[in-house]
Amino acid sequence: MKREKKKKAYSIEIISYYTGYIIFIISSLMIIPAVVSLFFREWSAMLDFVISSSISFIFGLALTMFGLRTRESKSNVHWKHGFAVAAFSWLVLTVLCAIPYSLSGHTQSFLDACFDVMSGFTTTGLVLLQDLDHISNGLNMWRHMLTFIGGQGMIVLGLTFLVKETGGAYKMYVAEGKDIELLPNVKGTARQIWKISIVYLVIGTVVLWIIGMIIGLNPISALFHGFYIFQSAWSTGGFAPNSQNIMYYHSIMYETVSMILFILGSLNFGLHYAIWQGKRKEVVKNIETQSFFITSFTVCILALAGLSRLHIYPDAVAGFRRIIFNVLSAHTTTGFGAVYARQFINEWGDFGVLIMVIAMLIGGSACSTAGGFKGLRVGIVFKGLIMDVKKLLTSERNMKVYKFHYIKERVLDDVLIKSSAIIIICYIVIFSIGTLLGTYYGYSLSDSAFEAASVTGNVGLSGGVTTPSMPVLLKVYYIIAMYLGRLEFLTVFALIGYIIGGIKKYVKNR
Amino acid sequence: MLRIVKAIFLVMIFIFVFPLNTSAQDLISINDMIENAKEYDGKHVTIQGEVIGECLERGEYSWININDGTNAIGIWLKNSDTKSIKYYGNYKYRGDIIKIKGIFNRACKEHGGEPDIHNISFEKIKSGFYIQENVSAAKIFVSIVFVISALLMFLFYYKVFRVEKGIK
Repeated sequence: MKREKKKKAYSIEIISYYTGYIIFIISSLMIIPAVVSLFFREWSAMLDFVISSSISFIFGLALTMFGLRTRESKSNVHWKHGFAVAAFSWLVLTVLCAIPYSLSGHTQSFLDACFDVMSGFTTTGLVLLQDLDHISNGLNMWRHMLTFIGGQGMIVLGLTFLVKETGGAYKMYVAEGKDIELLPNVKGTARQIWKISIVYLVIGTVVLWIIGMIIGLNPISALFHGFYIFQSAWSTGGFAPNSQNIMYYHSIMYETVSMILFILGSLNFGLHYAIWQGKRKEVVKNIETQSFFITSFTVCILALAGLSRLHIYPDAVAGFRRIIFNVLSAHTTTGFGAVYARQFINEWGDFGVLIMVIAMLIGGSACSTAGGFKGLRVGIVFKGLIMDVKKLLTSERNMKVYKFHYIKERVLDDVLIKSSAIIIICYIVIFSIGTLLGTYYGYSLSDSAFEAASVTGNVGLSGGVTTPSMPVLLKVYYIIAMYLGRLEFLTVFALIGYIIGGIKKYVKNR
Repeated sequence: MLRIVKAIFLVMIFIFVFPLNTSAQDLISINDMIENAKEYDGKHVTIQGEVIGECLERGEYSWININDGTNAIGIWLKNSDTKSIKYYGNYKYRGDIIKIKGIFNRACKEHGGEPDIHNISFEKIKSGFYIQENVSAAKIFVSIVFVISALLMFLFYYKVFRVEKGIK
């Protein structure tokens, strides 16, 4: 009997145990929107969250119990388990977190609800919810919480609550697209990520709350709007409580503070931590900030030059609020829109749209809340190119080690350049398929490319393709593209490989 | 001379009968206006929709946001015009339905390039109302069933957990 107990758990049990644990944590967070609904006396919305959290709780607990032998036998978590847990949790949670959306009656189908949840988790910000101006405070809270949780990472949140460090924690953490080690242990790193975010959350919400009151919102409403917009900006999500997005506020102050917040949110947590530690020079030396500064400066100048030729905006203030804001919103993969979706396509011209597509694909920093290729990879590939040119021009006997600065000095080798280039190619493939699919359904090339870049880079700006009436296959593809883009491909590929391997094994054993 | 008078008369008839500009009387949807923003830019437009969110006062003027079911847009109007608005649409209220005649700006110079409408005249078409929330008995029943199921499941888990830990 005792020997049987010590038998190592099967892989499926390990995956089930940790997935259940993460679902358990996220489902308990549904209490917050339920309390908000209770506060505003939104009874129906409150019950939606009671039902959803109970279902999630039961499901999470069932998975944990199925994999209970993992804890009992102290089974080791391998890389394949870590990747499968991350990819599987994201999928299951997308379905479970879509229940309150669906129960609210503001979605046309359950697929639309899943689309919005995936859009929130991946900090994309595209919306299929209908009649956004009449949704409950509870659901608004949930939408913005999802984007905030998704930005920092659901696994990161789960690891924060770990009682003791487990060997597999690091593998699950890396699988969610984060690899920075702020502290020697993963639990400490996860907690540090949340600490950084919570400090910014308090400061950002208070600033937006004050501005909200100055621009005419009532104090309670200003507080909630501030809280929502902060979560959206910091997570580079792009959701807003009203259908006009950031244009609802008609305020340069609100837009500027949001812009500062989403730029900060798009920076690496490692960089924030280094600055907290007093290493201010890191901002200048870091390859990612250098890359971000160069690319954002270039795209802003090009967009300003291109749009000033078309005489789209009357003056410099308009240029700042409509061009710089939107371009940086695209580049940081936030997706706050300071013009209407159709204005990008109808007024910005092909050049403007192309600049936006490039900005959206490049994205923000690695190990931040942003999406896209990431500045780090762009910087590495660019430096790699320079390295190769230099090697060609110098003597073969001259063996020089090339380095780059990313939190610390690192050696630039071919393996790193290759892995960065592979991920960039994966993004381009997903973007190309999305564009192709859009054109197949009759959307123009610029519409299709704009939307495909937006979903691939987890941005959330729309050219008007994303509507509840869009083709089902396109919705499904966009969900997959957002998911792949956020988890940076390998995690999802590992899950697919794991499932195929399992099926093969099953067929073989029959 | 008579020929000139006749010509002017005919031209006047054509101007009034077949106006080149969009008449402010014709209701336009916000989406149509945005889709054809260059065409409508600086022109008189009439839109009708629900007032949503809340009134954002800025000195002597205010912003209100109107949603006509296709999209929403900001209206810049005098504070005195907002006095008659009683209900602003949100989860609990259906906002007042108003008809706005004003000038559409594709990229308003006064407001940092924002697409907006500067109000000229304002008419309340229909008053808003409180939305009575109907919570169905089925929803309450389902909630109770799931909460009880979750609690039972947790108790079962707790028991298994205790057995596993060797706690009696």
